[in-house]
Amino acid sequence: MRRNDLYRRIFEIIPGSLTWTTLISLLVLAIFKPLWVAIFIITFDLYWGIRVIYLTTLLVFAYRRLEKEKKINWLTRCEELGDRHGLGYRNVYQAILFPVYNEGPEILIPSISALIASNYSKDKMIVVLSVEERAGEDVWRNAEMLRDSYRDRFFAFLVTKHPIGLPGEAMAKGANATWGAKVLKAFLDEWNIDYGHVIISCFDADTCAEKEYFGCLAYHYITNPKRHRSSYQPIPVYNNNIWHSRSIARVFEIGSSFMQMIETMRLEKFVTFSSHSMSFKTLVDVGYWPIDMISDDSVIYWKCFLYFDGDYSVIPMYVTVSMDIATGRTRLETIAKQYKQKRRWAWGVENFPYLMMGFMENDRIPLIKKLRRGFNLLESHYTWAVWAIIVTFIAPLPLILGGGLFRQTTIGYNLPSVSAALLRITLLTLLICMFLSIRLLPPRPPDVKRSKNIVMIAQWALAPFMAALIGSTPAIDAQTRLMLGKYMHFQVTEKFRKKTN
Amino acid sequence: MKKSDKIKRFIAFYLSVIIFCVLLPIVLSYSLGYHVEYFPSFTIYKTGIIYLKSQPAGSSIYVNGKLRPEMTPAKIEELKPGTYRVEVKREGFYPWQKELVVRPNMVTKADSIVLFPLAQEIKRISDYEVVDFAVSGGNIYYLTKNGLMRSSMDGTGLKLFTSYAAWPGSIRGKKFSPDGNKIMYFDGWHIWVAYLLPEGGFAKAGRENGRVEEVYRSEDPIIDAFWYSESNHAVVVTERGIIVVDLAGGGAKNAVTLYTFNSRPAGIHYDPGTDSLYFSDLREEKDAKKGVYLYRMDLRQKFLDTFIKRIKKEFDVIYETK
Repeated sequence: MRRNDLYRRIFEIIPGSLTWTTLISLLVLAIFKPLWVAIFIITFDLYWGIRVIYLTTLLVFAYRRLEKEKKINWLTRCEELGDRHGLGYRNVYQAILFPVYNEGPEILIPSISALIASNYSKDKMIVVLSVEERAGEDVWRNAEMLRDSYRDRFFAFLVTKHPIGLPGEAMAKGANATWGAKVLKAFLDEWNIDYGHVIISCFDADTCAEKEYFGCLAYHYITNPKRHRSSYQPIPVYNNNIWHSRSIARVFEIGSSFMQMIETMRLEKFVTFSSHSMSFKTLVDVGYWPIDMISDDSVIYWKCFLYFDGDYSVIPMYVTVSMDIATGRTRLETIAKQYKQKRRWAWGVENFPYLMMGFMENDRIPLIKKLRRGFNLLESHYTWAVWAIIVTFIAPLPLILGGGLFRQTTIGYNLPSVSAALLRITLLTLLICMFLSIRLLPPRPPDVKRSKNIVMIAQWALAPFMAALIGSTPAIDAQTRLMLGKYMHFQVTEKFRKKTN
Repeated sequence: MKKSDKIKRFIAFYLSVIIFCVLLPIVLSYSLGYHVEYFPSFTIYKTGIIYLKSQPAGSSIYVNGKLRPEMTPAKIEELKPGTYRVEVKREGFYPWQKELVVRPNMVTKADSIVLFPLAQEIKRISDYEVVDFAVSGGNIYYLTKNGLMRSSMDGTGLKLFTSYAAWPGSIRGKKFSPDGNKIMYFDGWHIWVAYLLPEGGFAKAGRENGRVEEVYRSEDPIIDAFWYSESNHAVVVTERGIIVVDLAGGGAKNAVTLYTFNSRPAGIHYDPGTDSLYFSDLREEKDAKKGVYLYRMDLRQKFLDTFIKRIKKEFDVIYETK
């Protein structure tokens, strides 16, 4: 094994081993040192309660910001800006890349329609559909059909087929996106368009950008003096099929949106997630998205971060892009889909070895910055993997395994009531989540009964149970796979929309 | 991020850190059973807990004679180590009192306190003088001088089964049949059975309603009697032996002696689950010296075989005599 491979394996093992060491240690200590575990659990519960309140406060700040910025006409602002160093919104091209696997027109047409409904000049919009060759001829024919239908609506509508088995590629979305970006590059070269005047947005097939999205993006791009050293992250909401999906899935996805909103307030931890935008020049400079990693959306950020010696950031944009909720035909199927989707997101832990290896090779990034970013990344995945297990399953262990003597101690006696009281505080934050989720809901479609409004509130009662059930397990699953070297393959979340009249 | 957002976040973050740092020692010391006294001097000492749970709940608690605000079930916290006189009181009940020792960082539990009600006025539930009574299936059966009667458990719905009143002076034992339709009772020499089947049931069985019948008269003192599991045979143990009485049919009952004792059995037990009779007897065994040993007789199989053989034999004798 080469030295670098050895280091990489060590960094792959670290997150999983930390998680498992924590959980196994707590289990063993619950038998032999129940007092220690009880003290740890009470400390953790208090920390968790305060953390949840703190994060909910950030969520409220972010929501207020979203509400405020929703009223802004970004395009007017762009006009007011005029040209800045030869860059004005009239000469900024918006390239929208859809890496497509097997999504059909029923998924893609609403996404393209959302682009048409945008108030940004369509003459400055280039749509790229990059279709997987392995998905078959039907998908390709659909893509061609879409090109024929929409080519006159945009500056250009490119369709390309990502070949199977290019050297060094994994079956991952990043490989397809990179292929699409290269086709775009060829097109820009052909038209002699400056890469620095092109913002590329890499969207999932189901991503519907809101009307102001591209205006807002252009504004941030033009006004940002480090525009090429920034990615631009909208807030993902899952409104496309929210009225037709299952409560279990809704609670999870709304929770994901909330987490993303919270992250916009924590820029030191903020990385790109799902649909995002960036300077095309930067993308070309850094060598596109990774072609052999699953978490392409976040890895591209780290790739840029390393390329620019740590001088790279993500600019939050308080505009939304709407996507599909991963829902199934049955409850069980929905839970399975949610689990797989969350595991794929948790596979973002692969960023840790990637970043650490990058840090080892880059001595221009200050050590303190390396430590901080490395710790933040590791801590977020570690906390994700252990919190629900500690709160739900480890907490009662000292009483179960600690023996009769421990149960007679005051801490043994107080442990359940103190833990419950601390965690009950966090349930209060559910009320805020409930309120915000209602505010973020799109209008109720005509085919949905009015009584569904009640379900939209009542569904939050599921949150504690679902958190206990699949709050941490996808992360443990992903970290264990990485630790054992059983690498995940990209699994496309099948889009399922109820047909409406 | 806007500057105002940065300030807000800064405040929220450090406020959270401060709250955590302040609350952690408070929560942990409370959980561990430590108490902090600020006046007159700053002292940290270990405390214990008394946990009280009573039947009925909601009873008052007195510790060292002082009424506590808590009601049972309750935990009394922050007690300094030592011995406490604890009383649990409730109006209309006898109080509970005990000295409980509180140890540092430990919980002393008294969670099985039962408060018994003060003596109430005794309620007479029958207007008839009783010789004896038996309880089964949520009913009381009265053996009175007016006859055999039945009522519900609170004495209501009294019903006369039969005017039979020749109850023995002293009833040594009484047992309900496994099917719940008969009461067997006995004194030292006789066994009676009271049939409790409803009207229709008796008519079908060809018996009178609430009939009482003497089913066996023993020449030897009766030690005990049991029901065979199918409720139609009585297993009688006398000082002389083990007899089975067949209750089927009217008139004289068939009685078969299954075993004759060598000495009066010191103990007897009947297992209705297996219809096995356990008894002690003085016997000389091939592999052991003569002495009192414990024996078991399985009536379910062998009894039937024996019984059928005996019946057949008696029939043969009668036939031959005739």
